[in-house]
Amino acid sequence: MSIQLTLAARYMAGRKLRTFLTTLAVIFGVTIVFGLNGLLPAFSEAFRQNMLASAGKIDLTVTSASGGTFEAEVIAPVRSVNGIDEATPILRQNAILPTGQAVNAVTVVGVDPESFSQVRPHSLVLGRYLQAGDKNALVLGEKLAEEMGLKLGDIFTLPSAAGATDFAVVGVIATQGVLGVEEVYVPLSTAQAMFNQAGRLNTIEARFAAQADRVQVAAAVQAQLGNRFKLGEIEGGGQFLSALAMGQIVLNLFGVLALAMGGFIILNTFRTVVAERRRDIGMLRALGATRGMVVGIILAESLLQGLLGTAIGMLIGAGLAYSLIGLIRPIFEQFLHMSFTGRPVFDIPVFIWALVLGVGITMLSGLLPAISASRVVPLEALRPMVGVAAQRAARRGAWVGAGLIGLAALTLISGAPKAAAAGAFLVLIGLVLAGPALVRPIALLFGRLLTVIFAREGQIAQGNMTRQPGRAAITASAMMIGLALIIACAGMMSSMEEGIGRYLAKSMGSDFLLMPASLVLGGGNVGASPELAQAIRDTPGVQDVTTLRLANSEARGTALQLVGIEPESFARVGGMEFMLGSEAQIYQELRNGRGIILNGVFAVRNPVQLGEWVTLKTPDGERAYQVVGVGSDLLNAKAATGFISQANLAADFHESNDLLLMVNKTPEAEVTAVRSALDGLVKQYPALTVMESTEWRETMIGMFGKVVGSLYFVLIALAIPSLIALVNTLAINVIERTREIGVIRAVGGTRRQVQRMILAESLLLAILGIAFGILAGLWLGYSLVGAVGVVGFKLTYFFPATSVLIATAVGLIFGVIAALLPARQAAQLQIVRALRYE
Amino acid sequence: MAIIQTNNLSKVYGSGDAVVTALRDVSLTVETGEFVAVMGPSGCGKSTLLHLIGGLDRPTAGTIQLDGDDLSRLSDTRLTEVRRRKIGFVFQFFNLIPVLDAVENAALPLILDGMKLAAARATAAEWLQRVGLDGQTSHRPDQLSGGQQQRVAIARALATEPALVLADEPTGNLDSRASDEVAGLLRQVADEWQRAVLMVTHDPRIAAYADRIVFLKDGSIIDQARLNGTPLEGAQLVRDKVEAL
Amino acid sequence: MGGEALWDVKPAQIYSTLARLKESGGICEQTVDGDGEGPDRRVYAITEKGRAELTAWFDLPIEREHQRDEVFTKLMLALATGEAEPHRIIQIQRTKLYQDLHDLTAQRRLANPKTELAHILLLDSIVMHLEADLRWLEMVEARLDEIQRQPVPEPELRPRGRPKKNS
Repeated sequence: MSIQLTLAARYMAGRKLRTFLTTLAVIFGVTIVFGLNGLLPAFSEAFRQNMLASAGKIDLTVTSASGGTFEAEVIAPVRSVNGIDEATPILRQNAILPTGQAVNAVTVVGVDPESFSQVRPHSLVLGRYLQAGDKNALVLGEKLAEEMGLKLGDIFTLPSAAGATDFAVVGVIATQGVLGVEEVYVPLSTAQAMFNQAGRLNTIEARFAAQADRVQVAAAVQAQLGNRFKLGEIEGGGQFLSALAMGQIVLNLFGVLALAMGGFIILNTFRTVVAERRRDIGMLRALGATRGMVVGIILAESLLQGLLGTAIGMLIGAGLAYSLIGLIRPIFEQFLHMSFTGRPVFDIPVFIWALVLGVGITMLSGLLPAISASRVVPLEALRPMVGVAAQRAARRGAWVGAGLIGLAALTLISGAPKAAAAGAFLVLIGLVLAGPALVRPIALLFGRLLTVIFAREGQIAQGNMTRQPGRAAITASAMMIGLALIIACAGMMSSMEEGIGRYLAKSMGSDFLLMPASLVLGGGNVGASPELAQAIRDTPGVQDVTTLRLANSEARGTALQLVGIEPESFARVGGMEFMLGSEAQIYQELRNGRGIILNGVFAVRNPVQLGEWVTLKTPDGERAYQVVGVGSDLLNAKAATGFISQANLAADFHESNDLLLMVNKTPEAEVTAVRSALDGLVKQYPALTVMESTEWRETMIGMFGKVVGSLYFVLIALAIPSLIALVNTLAINVIERTREIGVIRAVGGTRRQVQRMILAESLLLAILGIAFGILAGLWLGYSLVGAVGVVGFKLTYFFPATSVLIATAVGLIFGVIAALLPARQAAQLQIVRALRYE
Repeated sequence: MAIIQTNNLSKVYGSGDAVVTALRDVSLTVETGEFVAVMGPSGCGKSTLLHLIGGLDRPTAGTIQLDGDDLSRLSDTRLTEVRRRKIGFVFQFFNLIPVLDAVENAALPLILDGMKLAAARATAAEWLQRVGLDGQTSHRPDQLSGGQQQRVAIARALATEPALVLADEPTGNLDSRASDEVAGLLRQVADEWQRAVLMVTHDPRIAAYADRIVFLKDGSIIDQARLNGTPLEGAQLVRDKVEAL
Repeated sequence: MGGEALWDVKPAQIYSTLARLKESGGICEQTVDGDGEGPDRRVYAITEKGRAELTAWFDLPIEREHQRDEVFTKLMLALATGEAEPHRIIQIQRTKLYQDLHDLTAQRRLANPKTELAHILLLDSIVMHLEADLRWLEMVEARLDEIQRQPVPEPELRPRGRPKKNS
């Protein structure tokens, strides 16, 4: 072992508590990064399969360009493409059921059971799934079985080319999200015989390998098959996957932030280490160690600490992942009817990522102190040992910090939301830099308060803290990150909660909504013919109806979801927030000619002006639409969306089914009466469900609240490193001041007084962190809310009073907890030994 | 052979009104196997002289020849190398690394110089034996007495076989008996191992172990006393005293 | 006991000492026959008076022989007359003292503390006196300028013989 590592290991072993605390900071960050990254593939895979399946979507569908059937052998080239995990042959036909049944049509899906369940997982409710060798066996969804009153073993007769074929119901599966025409599953060969299509298919469905590049794989399949076939890919799935990727980024961000806090803790430790060992370092320099060797010794210590923390963090992270998955699996399977077969995957990139982050941040934090250690002159060794001198606040850092905060203030005033969001991070950095200079004023301010409770001990504590403003500021910085996140997120959440409420009231402000259950996923929804809207309009008690229709298009290289609205009634019943254009004029222009309202998501990517023309891809070629407004509604907040008139949607996109209907009742009509009338009408459209808007809005806000709640849980967990930072700093202070504590005890200070002294210092440190955290958190939250506005959401910032209180409380509680151990240690010092301590 | 030769060495600290001349035109030579003590009241510049010769600080004017190298002209890297290979330091506060045991401490300069660990340990153990510490090689500094710690430090100073050993108040933290032991050991370093030894002290009794005493005052050499003679003459002195009874 | 050097005394010195003691009546001398085998031997014994004196010597503290200090005299004369450089006097004396100290410490190192402790203690006594002398010289040297500034007292002129009558 090299001398650097030997020294590092020995020094670390000599200061066990400090090593433990510092390592703990690394462990925490690595645990989060490693554990969650290991868990994510399992999650995303489960979500991908289940959600796609429930949305009736698979990664890739192959159909004939002409729409007819094709020979079964086509499956082979598809399977041969690299990146295709499994492909399954399907023959799908609609079958009209004899009248008098509860359901008038079903889709018969002839499948190859084994490969089909690979591509589309299902969860069985009763009986069994289809097996190889089955002939006239049939599996159907739970809901359909219920509606038709079918039980296991019953006979289901389907019309066929040969007249009718009888099937025995062998299994019932959980109904997946697709509503509308229900699917029943039969063996492929039986279906082929039934529809007189021996050896032929009309669909191939395929699943991609987990890490496959979707675009590349699709292109490869197309190349294999030639242009006789067309491929169907799913946008909704892509969007969903990008949401998952976003989640992954957010979780990683949490890990990185936890590690950043760890970085501050490590920075503090190593600064102390260097101060403590100035004589040793000077001696090494006098003996002929080069500056590089000195840097090496300190870095070796941080390397060791980083490796240790990372290794333990990986172990705990893996443990966490396995226990979480064990916890989650039954929840998924019981309540969500989702098969969850994934296990944590710790592949090499996860290891590398955790290692790079854990060791990297540790070594990065060790670098500054290491460089300052290399500046220790050999003469230091010859000077008599003096106590660690009080630091003076670094003036340059304070000015730079103040400059950054000033700059951030300018961005805030400028009103440019993107600049302001960037400015918020400048504030964080500025506070870290200016921190040491702020320690004294804040300590003086709150010290006075503290002396009320702690009398003389408070005064001593205040003096002690200001002796090492750098250390206090770094501790506060670590705490600041944790608390600022809590407050910023809270500010954003409460603003969003309010904003969503407002948007809901505006864009879904009707009294009743008729919508498909899986609307949120976008695409693949089955709507209702215009007769339903007409029927509702004719219903007594109904004042107004407006409907939304949906089509897909592309403009300026961006996939665009098109919503067809009926401008006049939409203005009365629905509505949206406009960022460009005046409301009345927009609806007017939408009616005449080809006008389009683009939403914020699209406008952010492709800036547009009013009156400008955009070209949309339609099934019949390209059509130019003129931009009449830019505005957003809640439903389409996440996807690039254009709103055009239903007349244009029918003319250019051949889409005239209503996907969502909004209904207003007359003021005097009874809610229950109208509701039951609507329920009656909707019976024929199983895809749609009737909801009272208020109820739906509450559900939405409730769901949002649940998300916020779980987020808080994560955030508070994220604040834990700040507790470690406090304990670490106090432990360092107690060790450094061992002799002083000895003197205090020798001249008659009681153990209790020493304890109170440490407690007061801890609280003061915590207050410093809280002050930093509140300032940075409010700033961050405010500018983030502004940044959300960029995407087309206008939000009003709400001061998160509760969260400021929570953060303050958490900070103070941490302050008390952090003092426990160091205070005990300080109080138990033996006076004589403490006085002799060097 | 002259190991150290300084020529009109001067060191000025500060600037403007706050100029302090710590050393003024000091010319000093130390030969192989010679033991020189530097004495003088505190603030006379004796520590500054030692720092300059040890390459820990740079002179304002004048030159320092150390075993053929002009220290005032070397880069920091070269100076570090000279310290590592040609100079052994003994400090007042021993300055042992608390987390390393006696052998490891003594082996430190060898390890810093890139020697293999096993070889460095063997050499260090040999030197520890020579300075009279064979039983405590695996003790950490806090398990050793002051005199023992200083012996480890001397073994460390000698381990690289340097041309020059510099001692800064080596007995400043020791009782009189341990002081005599350490001073005697430094005498041995010059006599037996033929190193040039330059020691700063304020203790006349310790200075008397040297071959030559240099008296500094206000940064200048004011006197030098060359001490020669054999222990036999000392014996005569005692006899005279006895006779006087 | 205490090392050979301590007890290593020449016979002539012993005889002269004995003669002195006999003269002062502290001891008496008897002649003992050699019984034909060897020469006659003289045996000395302590007398009553001698024992009383010995007891008194043991009982009384020893007066330290204070500065019959020639160095001090040299310095004062040099200062008063300007005939010599006081620094030089200090330097010469210091070199001598260090030389003695050097020799003594060298010898002290040669002495075996297990068998010659008495010798070592004697050496230490001398060493410590030398150290004190050196420190004193140091002090003088440090304050030499100050002494030089203090005026040498003018001798008071006392008229000899009968005082003259004032007119």
